[in-house]
Amino acid sequence: MNLGVIIAILRKDLVAFSRDRFYVFITVFGLIAFVVMYWFLPSSVDETVRIGIFQTGLDDMFEPIAAADSEGIAVTVFASPEALIAAVEDGSDGIVAGIAFPPDLADRGGGTTTVDLFMPAGTPEEYLPLMEGMASQVALLAKGSLPMPDVRMRTVVLGTDRVGNQVSLQEQMRPLLAFFVLLMETFALASLVSVEVQLRTVTAVLATPARARDFIAAKGVLGTLLAFAEVLLLMTLIRGFVGDIPVLILALILGAVLVTGVGLFAGAFGRDFLGVMFLSLALMIPLMIPAFGALFPGTAAAWIRVLPTYGLVEAIVGVTTRSESWGDLAPALLALTAWCVALLALGTVVLRRRVETL
Amino acid sequence: MPEPGPAIDVSGISYSYGDTLAVDDVSFQVGAGEIFGLLGPNGAGKSTTVKMLTGQLRPSGGSIGVLGLDAVGDVAAFQARIGVCFEEKNLYTAMTGRENLKFFASLFGIKSFDAAPLLERVDLAARGDDRVADYSKGMRQRLMMARALVNTPEVLFLDEPTDGLDPVSARTIQEMIRQEAARGAAVVLTTHDMYEADTLSDRVAFINQGSILAMDAPEALKLRHGQRSVRIRSRGDGDAVEETVIPLEGPDAADRVQRAVAELDLLTIHTEEATLEDVFVAYAGRGLSA
Repeated sequence: MNLGVIIAILRKDLVAFSRDRFYVFITVFGLIAFVVMYWFLPSSVDETVRIGIFQTGLDDMFEPIAAADSEGIAVTVFASPEALIAAVEDGSDGIVAGIAFPPDLADRGGGTTTVDLFMPAGTPEEYLPLMEGMASQVALLAKGSLPMPDVRMRTVVLGTDRVGNQVSLQEQMRPLLAFFVLLMETFALASLVSVEVQLRTVTAVLATPARARDFIAAKGVLGTLLAFAEVLLLMTLIRGFVGDIPVLILALILGAVLVTGVGLFAGAFGRDFLGVMFLSLALMIPLMIPAFGALFPGTAAAWIRVLPTYGLVEAIVGVTTRSESWGDLAPALLALTAWCVALLALGTVVLRRRVETL
Repeated sequence: MPEPGPAIDVSGISYSYGDTLAVDDVSFQVGAGEIFGLLGPNGAGKSTTVKMLTGQLRPSGGSIGVLGLDAVGDVAAFQARIGVCFEEKNLYTAMTGRENLKFFASLFGIKSFDAAPLLERVDLAARGDDRVADYSKGMRQRLMMARALVNTPEVLFLDEPTDGLDPVSARTIQEMIRQEAARGAAVVLTTHDMYEADTLSDRVAFINQGSILAMDAPEALKLRHGQRSVRIRSRGDGDAVEETVIPLEGPDAADRVQRAVAELDLLTIHTEEATLEDVFVAYAGRGLSA
């Protein structure tokens, strides 16, 4: 490769990029919009535990429990188990769990009593012992005399089990916002490449000592630099650099390389502006699925793990919300690296064939 | 250092697009300082031939030597010494004319390139710092020509350099082509404009359906294949205009012309010779614009 030629093409592309109002607009506007959006999202989780209870005839028992509201516990009594389940499923009134006691609890002897504990998907797992303790306490209070019942909890998770995965909406949005930024740069790179192909300026470049590999290398460096710089800026502005920062930076670099491969591929095939936009989106939509999956922890199907961007999202989420590090994220980073190599190679081969056969 | 032999030596090159044979066993040589015209209708194989000569396409057979270098195997080496003016106006429109020239100079590894003399030469000195997007078609073509000259090439490939241009821009480019040849550059000019080929080229090759039909100096081709004659328009009886054609063949041709001039009431008199178009039709059975 000819370094002088690569630098010359890079400088020219930076000039072209900076003078294209559309590229500048989507880059600056996108960045500002995503940062503003991030800071408008709720940054914390409501710590008050709102519990629904079903048990006829024991309303006066809940006074001491309701008194605990000042300590972050609120109790709502429901008229039927069905109403309780519906409230837990919907999350209406902020109900995070429901406890249904057997109707004959007060009359029971000292035998085993089963109490149903309804938990919605995504309830913090720390709530589980709290719920169990509360249910036991209520059962004992309800009985009021010896022999005390042996309380057995039967936990029912309503919906997909996401117990323990609860994170704030801001944290959930981080991978998605990072991905949106990478998507924009993918589109900008694809458009830049496509214009060179359509206007055949690349033909003029290749009639000089510049070779196709120099041209593609320059585009690859430009795409990676732009995407990485912008996602770096975004993560800084949304205070995304928490936890193991080297792991996070490595993941973002790999993400930038990955989308550059996609950009080269889309740019090689795009016929015009709309074609490039359509192709970029068509390629990026499946790649965004893991980022959307991060919005709803626990909902991701197993097949999502094979998507190229799964490793990227997993690394961002792992570092920023689960305090994971190299050891925990090594498989995800390795998979991401493998996909980077594959997509960059694919983009390079396709673009090379395109420019050499113009 | 001048290489011995021709600047361009093409021997039996061919190229196919799928099943379509675009160039079939084409051979020619071009010397330093010579303007060589490749003349043919659209789709005849001119541009494909030039693409092979400039290293953009690899011929399926034959050999190409440019400046003594193997243009098939050692593309980068000879591309550093050639200039190409494409048929498409493939300029960077977001950049200025000066920036375009500087960028291409940097691709040739030219340090501290001064674009001013070239911009002056193509009459763009006053617009050199305007973006190419604001240039007219003629200005863009002149800038294309300037771009082909940034490395002072020893071989110049020009693909339809004056196609669709206004007469002033066309004349500017034609004059530059002559100047480059006078400097010693070998020039390969592809065109379907027979007048341009006739006036500019030292030699022309007729190409049709991928094959060279004939190759020689334009004058020689016209003399060989055209019929020389004198066409006289004279006043006849009353106001009637009569037309007489006297072939310039045979030992008494001069006497016949002399007699006609003496005896007729002349209105106009023209020598007539074949055009390159006529010669092409004689070879190909079709016109250049077909």
